[in-house]
Amino acid sequence: MIRKRVLALLLALPIVCGCRETPRAKAAELNRLVQTRRSEFAKRLAAANADPQKDEPIAQWLMPPQLREISGLALTSRGTLLTHDDNAGRISEIDPKSGVLLRGFSLNGNQKEDFEAIAIAGNDIYLMASDGKLFRFREGADGQQVNFMVFNPGLKKECEFEGLAYEADSTRLVMACKRLLDKQAPKELLLYRLPLPLNRSTITAMHVPVQDVVGTNPWKGFRPSDITIDPFTHNYVLISSHEHGLVMVTPDGDVVRSVPLPGDHPQPEGVAITRDSILLISDESNVKPATITAYKWHPQ
Amino acid sequence: MPIVRNIVDVLAMKSDKPMRRLIAYYVVVAIVVAILAFFFPGAISRVALIAGKGLGDVPEGPTVLTDALSNSPTSSVSFGPGSLLDIGLTTVMILLGSLVLMLPVTWVYMSARPSGGQHNQNVVQTLIFLPLVVAGIVFIVQNSLALAFSLAGVVGAVRFRTSMRDSRDLVYIFLSIVVGFAAGVQSLAVGAVISMVFNFVLLVTWHYDYGRNMLTPSAAAQWSRPLQALASPTGTHQIPDRDLVLSLTPERADALAERFTRVQKKIGKKKNKPRFDSVVTITSDTIPDAQRQVEEVLDRMTKRWTLDEVVQHTGKPSEIYYLTRLRKSIPRDVLLTAIHENADGVIASVDLETGTFAEEEKNGSKA
Repeated sequence: MIRKRVLALLLALPIVCGCRETPRAKAAELNRLVQTRRSEFAKRLAAANADPQKDEPIAQWLMPPQLREISGLALTSRGTLLTHDDNAGRISEIDPKSGVLLRGFSLNGNQKEDFEAIAIAGNDIYLMASDGKLFRFREGADGQQVNFMVFNPGLKKECEFEGLAYEADSTRLVMACKRLLDKQAPKELLLYRLPLPLNRSTITAMHVPVQDVVGTNPWKGFRPSDITIDPFTHNYVLISSHEHGLVMVTPDGDVVRSVPLPGDHPQPEGVAITRDSILLISDESNVKPATITAYKWHPQ
Repeated sequence: MPIVRNIVDVLAMKSDKPMRRLIAYYVVVAIVVAILAFFFPGAISRVALIAGKGLGDVPEGPTVLTDALSNSPTSSVSFGPGSLLDIGLTTVMILLGSLVLMLPVTWVYMSARPSGGQHNQNVVQTLIFLPLVVAGIVFIVQNSLALAFSLAGVVGAVRFRTSMRDSRDLVYIFLSIVVGFAAGVQSLAVGAVISMVFNFVLLVTWHYDYGRNMLTPSAAAQWSRPLQALASPTGTHQIPDRDLVLSLTPERADALAERFTRVQKKIGKKKNKPRFDSVVTITSDTIPDAQRQVEEVLDRMTKRWTLDEVVQHTGKPSEIYYLTRLRKSIPRDVLLTAIHENADGVIASVDLETGTFAEEEKNGSKA
């Protein structure tokens, strides 16, 4: 009886060993999945190129629980996306074409702030809080906590900030003001430019009249929730969660486009445009789960 | 279960000692977890080690996100947080994990009772069920403040009026809540350490009767009556406690029987008047000197005496036993005082147990 059991165990052992969840097997499975998804993504992009009038999404990735309150987006030189959640200084890297969350790292000491936007300037990453404070740090490995430096531009009393972008041509950061805290100030789109290296004395502001921004849309104003730079025209592209709108402004302050956002976005919080003409919009979890949606981007 | 019991029996060397069985159980659990961790490292680390998940200090590895636009097989994920399968498996594992951790706690609860104390079956079953429920609740609530408030509201509506007979039971209930919490936040490693330390500390304090009030009977008091019966004069026809006799090893039973026979020979036949009516017990580090000094006194103050036994110890004073027949004119205390005075500095202690004294004590307790 015992011999039979031992024999059965010995026969079962290779089968069980074959089922072992080895890192190599897992990596191979992941690689296969990434290839399949990328080819699927390329097919959908080609279909969108064939019909430029259509504004349908190419892909929509559902975010995991730790990115329930997803906010800003920033593109790395590798073509991946860096994103973060609203409350904790936790950065996640996502491949937008395969929908794989590659890694996550966080700021040292698990910083708790109202983080609103992220931008990449060379090797430095800037994470912006709603009071304008900028946290500068470098990329970290998966699970690592990274050191950071804080720059306070002293604009806390001026604005509530929600958007941040890096303008590579002028090596400066652009901060979009969502809401002016001075109630007497005229209604306008206000952008602050911060040349690098950061210094309070070099900060300049750009004002765009709100009627130019609204254009023919039925909006009462425009409260940007994020900003990015169009890699083709180098214009500023802003989106608004409240108005569900998209606005393109030249660095000189001329509004060249003012349109509703494509698709259905319950709470768009982040925007990024890739060099291969893909518009990426992140939505915070509302009734629906948090998502990142990809569209074909038409610069003109 | 019989397989686990058999393995525990083998590892515990068929011992019924709770400490050995507990160690054997944890060894079995550790082996099973090690095997599972070898084959499914991701799954084990997901439920046991990710206490810091969400804090950014634990590597998660790549996670495949769900494609909301596609119905193809690649749209749903087979691994990574958030998938249905993953959530299901994680839930099963945390519930099983809390069960595995709580089982030994129930054994300790049932075994380590104060003398004469009975365990409460309701508490035993609660210790099994409670962590499962707590783990389930915590797993659902986790990072959601809204769910936490909802839960507080629901729990607030329920009235808990059960009172515990023993305040120690409450500690076990708290432990089951802690284990449930640890399982719920997928940090079973913390729960395992807490329950293991709890079990061992509790067993040690129970074993040594830590903090016992000298006026209350000890856990070992259950043996005092049979031992008294065994030591009492045989003339009363008392039969030694059966369990105590059965618990003796053959060597000890032989030694005990030999001593009884020897004492009986010296005391005399049952129907006759006993030749000796008392036992003098001396403890001393220097046996020859003590014997000389004590025997001088015994010669002088007793009718007759004989050396019964010398028990030598290493590390503590040896014991010398004399069987004596006292003179009626010399009371017990006078004899003890005389021995003390004569052998001062040579003996550590002296005691005299007389048959009449034991008889008086027995009559006194009856009254």
